[in-house]
Amino acid sequence: MKAVIIGAHLWRDDVEPIATAIACGDLWLSGVEVAADQPLGDRELLLRVADVRARLLDRATFIAIRYGFAVREAAEAEAKCAAHLERWRRVLEANRDNVEMTLKVAASAATPRPDRHDFAGGADYLRALHEATNAAEVDPGFRDAVSAIATHRWMHRDNRSLECALLVGRGDVARVRESGEQLKRDFPDIPFLLSGPWPLEVFVDG
Amino acid sequence: MADHEEDLSLLETLDHLLDRGVVIAGEAVISIGDVDLLYLGLNIVLANVDAVIRTGQK
Repeated sequence: MKAVIIGAHLWRDDVEPIATAIACGDLWLSGVEVAADQPLGDRELLLRVADVRARLLDRATFIAIRYGFAVREAAEAEAKCAAHLERWRRVLEANRDNVEMTLKVAASAATPRPDRHDFAGGADYLRALHEATNAAEVDPGFRDAVSAIATHRWMHRDNRSLECALLVGRGDVARVRESGEQLKRDFPDIPFLLSGPWPLEVFVDG
Repeated sequence: MADHEEDLSLLETLDHLLDRGVVIAGEAVISIGDVDLLYLGLNIVLANVDAVIRTGQK
């Protein structure tokens, strides 16, 4: 058996019985147990993990761990997470009542995506790709309106879109959704998608 | 319309599952069906573009 790890949690009760609780220092990891030879790219497994992830968030806020991390025993998990544990505890304690929401918005003018065939080397191509991504801009008025909603971090997604992660109190989720409706009315020509709540995915380095 | 919103919600959920959260140093086998396609060192492959560029400049 192995466990596909979903997140890091403050308390064992935040995990069980929704998922398997794996001790990791003084924190707990949530996991979904699968056969040792279970391919991680399996569609049914992805959907199952996504479902458990959502139910865990209903229970309590946790730090999301990107899909693909699987362990066979607790000692392996602890060894690989040891460097993070002290910071994770601080973040979890500070954000017990917070969740993240995400707003994805189309860039006001998409920058051309570089064609890898135009570059002699991989580094040059990656540099051009990075520059094209960071050149994507959003309408300044829209950006200001989103930034006023909550504590936020803007990130460049690709050459056609940006993303803003919002750190929101659980009691504020409805207000943020209403702010999203107001954005639709104020900026009817700007396509965006507001989603959440999500676990702590971006605000993990605090 | 409801189907569209359901699809969008599923896509968003999978995007967050696959592309968000803390990356733990380690290894993973990425597979489709029963065929293991890639054996990856996550430290290397999931390094962000900035890190790759810095490496390329050395």
